[in-house]
Amino acid sequence: MKNIIILALLLSLCCCKEVRAQIVNQLLFSKTNGVYAMWDGTLVKTMGYSTTLSANIDLPSPTLVYNQGDSVKLTLWNKSQGAPHTIHLHGLDVDQQNDGVPQLSFTVHHDEKKDYHFVAPHAGTYIYHCHVVSTVHVQGGMYGMIIVRPTNGSTTQTWDNGYTYDQDMAWMMSEVDTTWHHDTIINHTHDTSQTTHTLPTNYTPQYFLVNGKSEQQLSGAGLAVNANVNEKIYLRLANIGYYGNRIVLPSALNTKIISSDGRPLPNLEQSDTVMLFPGERYGLLLEATGAITDSIQIEYFDLNTQAIQNTQNVPVQISGTVAVAELSNEQPSISCSVWPNPANTQVHLNVALLQSELLNGELLDINGRMVHQFSTFLAKGNTSLTLPITELGTGVYFLKLKTSAEQLVKKLIVEH
Amino acid sequence: MIHNRLCSGLKVMLVVLVFSGLLEDAKGITLVEKLYINRDSMEMVTGDKLPYLVFNRSTNFEQQNAVLELAVGDTLDLWIINTDTATHGFQIKSIMGTSLSIPAGDSVHLVQEFSNEGVYIYHDPQQYPYNLYLGLGGMIYVKNHLHERFYWNMKEHASNWNTTLVNGGTVSLNNYKPDYFTINGNSHPDINADSTARIEGNVGDTLILCIANTGRGIHSIHFHGYHAEILYSSKHSHHVGRSKDTFPIYPMETLELRLVPDKPGEYPVHDHNLVAISANSIYPNGMFSTILIAP
Repeated sequence: MKNIIILALLLSLCCCKEVRAQIVNQLLFSKTNGVYAMWDGTLVKTMGYSTTLSANIDLPSPTLVYNQGDSVKLTLWNKSQGAPHTIHLHGLDVDQQNDGVPQLSFTVHHDEKKDYHFVAPHAGTYIYHCHVVSTVHVQGGMYGMIIVRPTNGSTTQTWDNGYTYDQDMAWMMSEVDTTWHHDTIINHTHDTSQTTHTLPTNYTPQYFLVNGKSEQQLSGAGLAVNANVNEKIYLRLANIGYYGNRIVLPSALNTKIISSDGRPLPNLEQSDTVMLFPGERYGLLLEATGAITDSIQIEYFDLNTQAIQNTQNVPVQISGTVAVAELSNEQPSISCSVWPNPANTQVHLNVALLQSELLNGELLDINGRMVHQFSTFLAKGNTSLTLPITELGTGVYFLKLKTSAEQLVKKLIVEH
Repeated sequence: MIHNRLCSGLKVMLVVLVFSGLLEDAKGITLVEKLYINRDSMEMVTGDKLPYLVFNRSTNFEQQNAVLELAVGDTLDLWIINTDTATHGFQIKSIMGTSLSIPAGDSVHLVQEFSNEGVYIYHDPQQYPYNLYLGLGGMIYVKNHLHERFYWNMKEHASNWNTTLVNGGTVSLNNYKPDYFTINGNSHPDINADSTARIEGNVGDTLILCIANTGRGIHSIHFHGYHAEILYSSKHSHHVGRSKDTFPIYPMETLELRLVPDKPGEYPVHDHNLVAISANSIYPNGMFSTILIAP
């Protein structure tokens, strides 16, 4: 009887093998001879990873895709002619040996070939990058995205038993300071007996990138958002730069923030603004219920002064009309329109609730400081509220409205 | 309700701060502490020295501010003694409605009950933000458990600002370019020598990290090896419960994180603004530490 049970278990494991964990072998080359053309034609020297020895180094490096539970052997073959390199699997929570940090894990010297072993964790969005003199090597271009799909490899579900979507997109934000791409920095000497390394004195990037592109390039290269009404888009965001990102989405996209750092959020958040800091990732679900021609704004701000240094705009085109029967049943518990915006003396809120309940509101300044707070019980349906803002200084604020089930964030601009 | 009482014999101000009604429910102990405002120089990892001010538990200058730890329901009985030649102030962010002024050579006394778990920043609000910038910002942790705890007071320093400010000069807030990045007054590799900062434990332990950002920049802390859970955020209460490997922390924000390691090893935890892993452009002498987990 015991043998029969064991046999049955083995058979069931074999049957499941095709749709469950697989063994994946991958090879990446690390190189330092990249020449990358920025949007204006300026050529910068880069370092990076490629899947073939002859391939050009791209910014970012190739996206690595696994299914949750895959047993992965990722081989790094260093063909840099110079410094050692590693692969740090950022967010995958691998063991120390495979963590890619010099002195704590192994390094891969020129012409060496070494293997990283790990099991792909929870479906989500991750990063890989070199951790040798990481400030230089990451700025140099040694980074890419890792996407872990659900156990069954689905390309229409966020994670096992998660949200469904129609298409996914992945954006990796970074910056380039050309002074860090001088040949002496990209091909720096490396003395393994030295534990320190001298960096360039300032970081003042001139190029602000989404998947290595900027300005007019953002209309193409698979970056622009093109979808039909009621199509669900899973937008994966990652920041590997040294600046913060503020992503402002058209409110008509009905953005829901559903995950961060490879884990579902405990509470879904409805917001048209997402803050993304170095090393962070977020997952958004976008679904427009009407046609839109607009753009998603990506601001790059200095973490020391919090001053916005650059803004990039990715076009959004949502086409088609929607029939009543096609309307989604998953209506949010709260929606709100804010006008005028920008505002001067007061701002009107038209709040719609699915049920009568207590609404908690907070107005936050750009640093997250709460400047106003209110609570009010509202009846089901539409209610108009007015907020005086004469006491507020000119600037960007965020209005956070919270019901028992959801949170909604709206951007408000005050101009005096 | 706030009560102020001048104690003329000692030339000190006694300020008793209790929230109305909470006194009846107080079940904790009273923690008696003294903080001295000391002025001296902070020695950076490169050997450079910066003029600096701190809240220490004695008149001996130490370059990290004291951490005050209480349990929920405890009362803090605190004297603050100003050993400096300038007037300073004292405030506990989100707790005290008004700040206290402390003339040079004088002292103040306050009694404050803490009824909610969390990490709170105490600081000098005078000449804001410059006295805070020069170092006068520390942390109070109000705990609700007995787990192992670690404390990070994160701060960056623009060395030219320290010199200019102590000499009465002015600086531009819009031109802030820090060149040193410290945790509890130390940079890598010295952070690991600070047992209050270096996270150590065993597989399966519950480890608590209390973080206060008393600097002017935003930091983005990345954990290798593990995700951790946000237990408390002073700015983003809706982030509580999130499991993350990278945690932004805004100026004057505090966080409480829970880490339950599932495997042994030594793993870095560092600022992922990778420029902050440097000291005067020397890598990796900035905000970089390691977690050490035994089987």
